[in-house]
Amino acid sequence: MVQYNFKKITVVPNGKDFIDIILSRTQRKTPTVFHKGYAISRLRQFYMRKVKYTQQNFHEKLSTIIDEFPRLDDIHPFYGDLRHVLYNKDHYKLALGQINTARNLISKIAKDYVKLLKYGDSLYRCKSLKVAALGRMCTVIKRIGPSLAYLEQIRQHMARLPSIDPNTRTILICGYPNVGKSSFMNKITRADVDVQPYAFTTKSLSTAVLFFLDISGSCGYSIAQQAALFHSIKSLSMNKPLIIVCNKTDLQPLDGISEEDRKLVMEMKAEAMKTVIGQGSEPTNEEGVLLTVSTLTEDGVIAVKNAACERLLNQRVEFHVALPKPRDQKERPACIPQAVLETKAKQAAEKEKRKTEKDLEDENGGAGVYSASLRKNYILSNDEWKEDIMPEILDGHNVYDFIDPDILLRLEELEREEGLRQEEEEGDDFEMDGQELSPEEQEALAEIRKKKSMLIQQHRMKKSTAESRPVLSSLGLDPSLAINRARSKSRGRKRERSVDRREGDDGDAMDIDDNQASKKLRLRSTSWSRSRSRPPSEVVPGEGLKDSAQKVNAIKLAKKSVLKRNKNARRGEADRVIPTLKPKHLFSGKRSIGKTQRR
Amino acid sequence: MRLEKCWFCSSTVYPGHGIQFVRNDAKIFHFCRSKCHKNFKMKRNPRKVKWTKAYRRLHGKDMTQDSTFEFERKRNRPERYDRNLAENTLKAIKKIDKIRSDRASGHIKNRLKTGKVQRQKEARKQLELGIHLVKAPLALAQDSSLCLPKIKVNVSQTQTEENQPMEE
Repeated sequence: MVQYNFKKITVVPNGKDFIDIILSRTQRKTPTVFHKGYAISRLRQFYMRKVKYTQQNFHEKLSTIIDEFPRLDDIHPFYGDLRHVLYNKDHYKLALGQINTARNLISKIAKDYVKLLKYGDSLYRCKSLKVAALGRMCTVIKRIGPSLAYLEQIRQHMARLPSIDPNTRTILICGYPNVGKSSFMNKITRADVDVQPYAFTTKSLSTAVLFFLDISGSCGYSIAQQAALFHSIKSLSMNKPLIIVCNKTDLQPLDGISEEDRKLVMEMKAEAMKTVIGQGSEPTNEEGVLLTVSTLTEDGVIAVKNAACERLLNQRVEFHVALPKPRDQKERPACIPQAVLETKAKQAAEKEKRKTEKDLEDENGGAGVYSASLRKNYILSNDEWKEDIMPEILDGHNVYDFIDPDILLRLEELEREEGLRQEEEEGDDFEMDGQELSPEEQEALAEIRKKKSMLIQQHRMKKSTAESRPVLSSLGLDPSLAINRARSKSRGRKRERSVDRREGDDGDAMDIDDNQASKKLRLRSTSWSRSRSRPPSEVVPGEGLKDSAQKVNAIKLAKKSVLKRNKNARRGEADRVIPTLKPKHLFSGKRSIGKTQRR
Repeated sequence: MRLEKCWFCSSTVYPGHGIQFVRNDAKIFHFCRSKCHKNFKMKRNPRKVKWTKAYRRLHGKDMTQDSTFEFERKRNRPERYDRNLAENTLKAIKKIDKIRSDRASGHIKNRLKTGKVQRQKEARKQLELGIHLVKAPLALAQDSSLCLPKIKVNVSQTQTEENQPMEE
């Protein structure tokens, strides 16, 4: 059930305010700074944006207005009728329609002008197009100004309506002004009630109608007039419980009124009775229809209230349970099959007798002490197996992966297969044995291999390399550095001649020692400490010198010049030197980026 | 509790070991140790990494197809407990294991057999060709078997007589 809350409708601004709001918003939210030197596409974009933005805002606001105002056909007819009575239904529809048209017009304007703006060729033209567009939109709004004002009025009025739930039961208290309705209300509800002058229909509400009649005539209207009112209203309160309440009996009791008045009152009562009869087969009593009340003395007030409520409640009860009419005195109770009865009895017995796990737990020491046996209700082929523990893992396999009802059969097959396979294997093995060497032969082979490796060693020793020429070792120095250097250099040097010269001298000095397996450790015995002067090395003429003699001289001079410096261990041109150990630019100054914790 | 196989090296992952990685498509990868895990993160293909089972199987180093593998299969439907069945299964597992390992080692032996044969042939050839290094041609003529010449040592008689009383 929807609660109609008309307070939530947004304020409808009047025409001028509307324009001001939208235009100022456009100014604020779109870029304003501009240069005529910008590219033409940018200019166009700028103005198009403004036009579009304005149109969008108008569209939005008008749409909210249209959506929030309820349509008369969609709401509960009570409200529709109320609305119609208060403000003309047609006017209302027209106003909303005008708003809708305005919205469409504005959209069209925007579309057209955006299209024109696409072809604007100068700043001035674009600007004037934009001005025209906005101007036309504002004129449209100005024209619907009166509709906006009208809607605003409606909204304000509707907001003040209390939200009535038209589907609950209500009691309508009606009658001429000053008859005593509000005082009656006050008496009943003990609430301060405002006078709400509603002229409305009761067609659609589930109501009980209390028509108040001022017997004494002190409201300013005679009974005849009130009766006339009643008759005009009675058409609206068809089929609703109607109670006629005669108020102000303290001033004039019911019996003391004149004949015509009494007749009129009886007519009204008759009408009220009609509604009672229409209600259903309920016995009526005259008191339930015509009641006397004095709100001043609070006489009969509660009776009225009760009567009204009772009538309303009775109105609601409409269920009929259809029962067949008994045709004879025979008892025909409900038929329940025997089995069902038995099971029902058994279940009832079980419920009382069965011992729960909780009881067990309590008996055996409580929650922390007793642990329930989860296995006791297992369904197995043999109940002895209930407490069995089965391993899940065996030898790196999951046991559950192997479980198979016919595992024995398959295992047998497998073993048979295996037997066959093993026999085959043995057959193969016998073939193989013939090829092997006997132990003596193996011994011989081992000897052969040893001899071969020794020969290879000898050969390698004989082979002349930098290692085998003991130049440095004769001096008592370690040759390994020289060897490495020689190895890393290219092998194009002609050394044969010097090698040949070497061979003769060193042949007998070399001793092939089996125990020294390593070929690198071929140093001469250090006991032979006789020094040897270096023979003049081969000098090849070249490098700008005309013959070897000249080159030899040149080399000699170079060496002489370097000798003194070397002897005194002075720094030479080939030695690395750092001219400034602490250059200032690296050790001082601030950093443009980063810290100076380390330099 | 279940023993898983490492996705990378195919060894068993016991409870309390290794890492499980669940990918966004809900595929689960088990790893036995950080070595396998790190290799996986490096996006290495186990079929190309020499020490994994996947490589060995792919390149025929290890046994691939065998009836013993059929026994171990992940079963999703649990069977009702039966003590006899359980007993038989446990015994069977041991036997199947033994058979499987025998077959696997047989496979490897087979694979290595050709190399062995070749080496033996080579050895024989080497022996034949190189016998002249250790055996003088004269000795070879006398005793044509391919083994070292027998060295005869003369032992004096007196020593044997002295030993006799000790033997008693």
